[in-house]
Amino acid sequence: MDDKMNHKTYHRSKTVTVFFLCALILFGLAGRLAYLMIFQSEYYTLKAKELHERERSIKAARGRIIDANGKILADNKTVCTVSVIHSQITDTENVIAVLSEELGLSQDYVRKRVEKYSSIEKIKSNVDKATGDIIRSYALDGVKVDEDYKRYYPYDTLASKALGFTGGDNQGIIGLEVIYEEYLKGEAGTILTVTDAKGVEQDEEGEERVEPVSGRDLYVSLDINIQSYATQLAKQTMETKEADRVSILVMNPQNGEILAMVDVPEFDLNNPYTLPNGMDASAFSEKKRQELLNTMWRNGCINDTYEPGSTFKIITAAAGLESGAVKPEDTFNCPGFIMVEDRKIRCHKVGGHGAENFVQGTMNSCNPVFITVGLRIGVERYYSYFRQFGLLDKTGIDLPGEAGTIMHKMENIGPVELATISFGQSFQITPIQLATTASSIVNGGRRITPHFAVKAVSADGTDSQVFSYPVRNDVVSAQTSETMRYILEQVVAEGSGKNGAVEGYRVGGKTATSQTLPRGSGRYIASFLGFAPADDPQVLALAIIHNPQGTYYGGQIAAPVVRQLFENILPYLEKMDYNRT
Amino acid sequence: MAQRNASRRGQKRGESFMDYSLLFIVLFLVGFGMVMVFSSSSYEANIKLGDSTRYLRQQLFASILGLVAMMVVANIPYHFWERFAVPAYISSVVLILLIIPFGHSSGGATRWLYIGPISLQVAEVAKLGMILFLSSLICTLGKGIRTNKGFMLVLLSPAPVAAMIYFITNNLSSAIIVMGIVVLMLFVSCPDYKRFFLLGLIVLAVAAVLVFYVVQTAEAHMDDLDFRGARILAWLDPEAYSDDRAFQTIQALYAIGSGGVLGKGLGQSMQKRGFLPEAQNDMIFSIICEELGLFGGIAVIVMFLLLIWRLMIIANNAPDLYGALLVVGVLGHIAVQVILNIAVVTNTIPNTGISLPFISYGGSSVMFLLIEIGLTLSVAKGIHLKDL
Repeated sequence: MDDKMNHKTYHRSKTVTVFFLCALILFGLAGRLAYLMIFQSEYYTLKAKELHERERSIKAARGRIIDANGKILADNKTVCTVSVIHSQITDTENVIAVLSEELGLSQDYVRKRVEKYSSIEKIKSNVDKATGDIIRSYALDGVKVDEDYKRYYPYDTLASKALGFTGGDNQGIIGLEVIYEEYLKGEAGTILTVTDAKGVEQDEEGEERVEPVSGRDLYVSLDINIQSYATQLAKQTMETKEADRVSILVMNPQNGEILAMVDVPEFDLNNPYTLPNGMDASAFSEKKRQELLNTMWRNGCINDTYEPGSTFKIITAAAGLESGAVKPEDTFNCPGFIMVEDRKIRCHKVGGHGAENFVQGTMNSCNPVFITVGLRIGVERYYSYFRQFGLLDKTGIDLPGEAGTIMHKMENIGPVELATISFGQSFQITPIQLATTASSIVNGGRRITPHFAVKAVSADGTDSQVFSYPVRNDVVSAQTSETMRYILEQVVAEGSGKNGAVEGYRVGGKTATSQTLPRGSGRYIASFLGFAPADDPQVLALAIIHNPQGTYYGGQIAAPVVRQLFENILPYLEKMDYNRT
Repeated sequence: MAQRNASRRGQKRGESFMDYSLLFIVLFLVGFGMVMVFSSSSYEANIKLGDSTRYLRQQLFASILGLVAMMVVANIPYHFWERFAVPAYISSVVLILLIIPFGHSSGGATRWLYIGPISLQVAEVAKLGMILFLSSLICTLGKGIRTNKGFMLVLLSPAPVAAMIYFITNNLSSAIIVMGIVVLMLFVSCPDYKRFFLLGLIVLAVAAVLVFYVVQTAEAHMDDLDFRGARILAWLDPEAYSDDRAFQTIQALYAIGSGGVLGKGLGQSMQKRGFLPEAQNDMIFSIICEELGLFGGIAVIVMFLLLIWRLMIIANNAPDLYGALLVVGVLGHIAVQVILNIAVVTNTIPNTGISLPFISYGGSSVMFLLIEIGLTLSVAKGIHLKDL
C-alpha cells in the first residue's frame, strides 16, 4: 500500500509536469500566432489580396483631334468586346449558337473558345455597340459584353498621313496619333474583382474601381476647309496630269502652323490595312504586304526627300543678298550656258536670257545667274548659310519619321558641286524643309518650327496646355527678307511664276522643274512655292507634282494649283481673320 | 487542492459522478468543429459535389456515433478494458496489415478500411489500442519499469506498430503521435527525469542533424531529395517553394496572416474558396484564424489547454494507476496532436499531415477521440469510490 502511494505521488507530479510542458508549448505557439497575425498581418493580407483579386482594365477614352474650326478629325466610337468566362457558362450549346450567329463566326471557332478552360476568354473585339446590346439582351450566363472605345475618323481619308491612325490597343501607329500618344491616350482604369481560386467572381465581395482618365483633346492648326480643298486640287491634278503623287503643303510662315498637308493618294484611316485600288492582300507575302502598306502610309511631305530644283534658288538668293555677294541691281549676262571649270552647264533657255539684273535673273530662273552668285559666295560661306538657315538639321515638325537633308560634305564640294547646289540640284531635302526655310526667309528672318499641335486640353476642359515651339531669329536680316519678298513677288507678277498670280492679291513665289535621278529617264518633278500677301506673308503653299505626263514645267502645271488654292483660301483666311490675333 | 475540490464535488453528486466540465469542453469543441467544418468545406463542396453540406453531414454522423460510443464507454467501469490489452495490440496490428490487401486510397495514401458504409482510418484505432495496451503493461510491470529492461520494453513494444503505421499506411504523423503517447505514458510512470531528458536531447540532436543533412544535400542534389526532405526545405523557406512543396503552408500562412486580430468574420474566409485545398482537414486552424482572427485562434488554444488541464485533474485523482495511465494516454494523444497541428499550420515545424482533434474533418478521428473521452469519463466516475 505504501509503495503504491509513493508510486502515485511521483506520477501526479509528473502529470503536472506534462501539463505545464504542454501549456508552455501552447503559449509559445500562441505567441507565434500573435506574431503572424499582428506583425506579419499586413504582409500576408497584401499577398492574399493579390492572390484573390483579378484586375481588369477599363480603357480610357482617347483624346480627340480637333481642327482649327473645332471640327473633330479623330473621334471615338463605342464598340464592344465579347468574352466568355468558362466556369460561369451554364448552357454551353446555346452560348455557342448565339455567339456564332450574332458575331458571324464559325461554330467551331466559337466552340474552341467557349470550351477552353480559362478564367476569361475573348471571343471578338470591336463589335458594334448594337450587336453587343443584342448579345447582352440574351442574358447568357458566362457571357460578358464589355464596352470599349475604337478610334473613328469622320473624314475617312482626309489628312490621313498627317493624322495617322491607331492600332488594336488604341495606341498611335503613325502620324500625330503616335507623336502625341502621351497626351491622347489617357490613363486606363482598373476594376479589381475578388475571385476564388478558379477565377469565379465573388459577388458579395463587391468590386473596387479605379476610374480611367480620358486622354486630352489635341487641338491642331490644320483647317479642314483648306485641307479639303487642297486635297481636291491635288487629286484633280494627279488625275489630269497622270502623276504618281501630288503633295500640297500650306502653312503659316509667321509661326509655322500647318494649315494643310496633302499627299495624294491618301488612304482610309478607318481601314488603314486595306491595300489601295482593290489590291488583293492575299496575293502578297506578309513581308510584301507590309511593304505595300508602308508605302501607302508614307507621307511624302516629310518622309521623302527630293531634289528641289529652282525653288531652292530662294535660298541661294537669300544667301547671296545676306552675304553681300550680290545686290538686286547687279547685272549678269546669260549666253545659255556657263563654264564651271571644264564643265559646261546649260541654262534651261537654250538661247540664253542675255543681259539681266539679279531680279530679272530670278524672274527668269536663270541658272547661270545663280551659279555665278553661288560661286561668288564660295563654298565655306555657302555652307555656313546652309547651316544658318537650318537646312542641315531637321525642321522638328511634330510628325514621326522626318527625313534629313542629303547634302555633300563640305570638303567634297568643288566649284561644279557648288554650281549645281546653287540652282537646287545634286542634293535632296524634304518638302517641309523647303517650305520652312522659305518661310523663314520671307517672314523677316525667323526660323520657325513647322507644327500641327496648338494645345492639349483635358477632357473636362479644365486644364489646357498650350504648346510652344522654338523660334530662331538670326536666319537673315529684315532687309534681306524684305528684298526677297520683293524679288519673289516680281517672279509671280511678271516672271516664270506668273501662273501663280491671283487677282487682287500680292503673291510671291518661285517655280521649279527638276528631272529625277537617273537623268534622262523622262521623269520630272514640277513644283511651285507661293506665299501671300507678298509684303506680309500670312500663308505659304508648296505644291509638288511627281512624274506628271505631258507638260511638266512647274510654272505651267504647279503654279496654277497654288493659284487656284490661293484664289479660294485667301478670301477665306481674310474672312476668318485667320491668325491675326 | 485540485484533488480535494474534485473529490468534494464527486461526493456531493453521489455514485453517478459525471465530469461535466470535461463533457462541456468536449461538446463545445465538437460543436465548434462542426461549424468550422461546414464553414471551411461548404464553398468547395458546393462546386465540386454540388452539395454544400456533404462534409458537415458526414462529420455529424461520425460525431453522433462517437457520442453514443462515448456514453456507452463512460458507463462501463474502465477495469473492464484491462483484459483487452493484448487483443488491442493484436487487433491494431491486424487492422494495419489488412490495409495491404483491402486498403482504400485517398489523396495518394492508403489508410482506410471500409466496413460496410463506414470508412475506418486504422491509425486512429491503433492509437487507442496502444493506450489500452500500455496502461495494462505498465501496471503489470509495477516496479519493474524502473529497470532499464522494463523501460526499454515499454518504449519499444509499441514501436513495431508505429513502424507499421509509417511503412504500410505511409503515415509519419500518426507514427509520431503513437510514439509521443508512449513516451508521455512512460514519463509519467517512471520516477526519474534523467532518461527522458536524455531521450529529448537525442530526438533534438537527430532532428538537427536531419535538417542539416537535408540542407547540405539540397545544395548538391536537388533532384535526389525525397519527399520528406523537400518538406524540410519548404519549411525553412516557404516563399521559395510556394508553387509546389510549400503551397499548402503558404496558403495557410496567407489565411492566418490576413485574418488579423479580429478576423474577417465567420464564413468570410477567402482562402477556403479553392486557394487552400481541403481546408476542412489538417489546415482548418488557419481558416479559424482567418475568419475569427487572433482572438478566435487563441480561444481555441485556450479551450484545448482547459481540456488538457481537466484531463490532468482526472488523471491525478484517478482511483488507481491503470485509470490514471488511461487518462494520461488520452491526454498525451490530444496534447501531441494539438501542438503538432498548430505548429504545422503556423509553419513552426515542417509540414506533416496532422488533424486538429475534434475540429478537423475526419470521422475515424472524432469517433475514436470521443471513445477515449468516454474512457476518461469512466475513470472520472471512479474518483469518489476511491476517496470515499
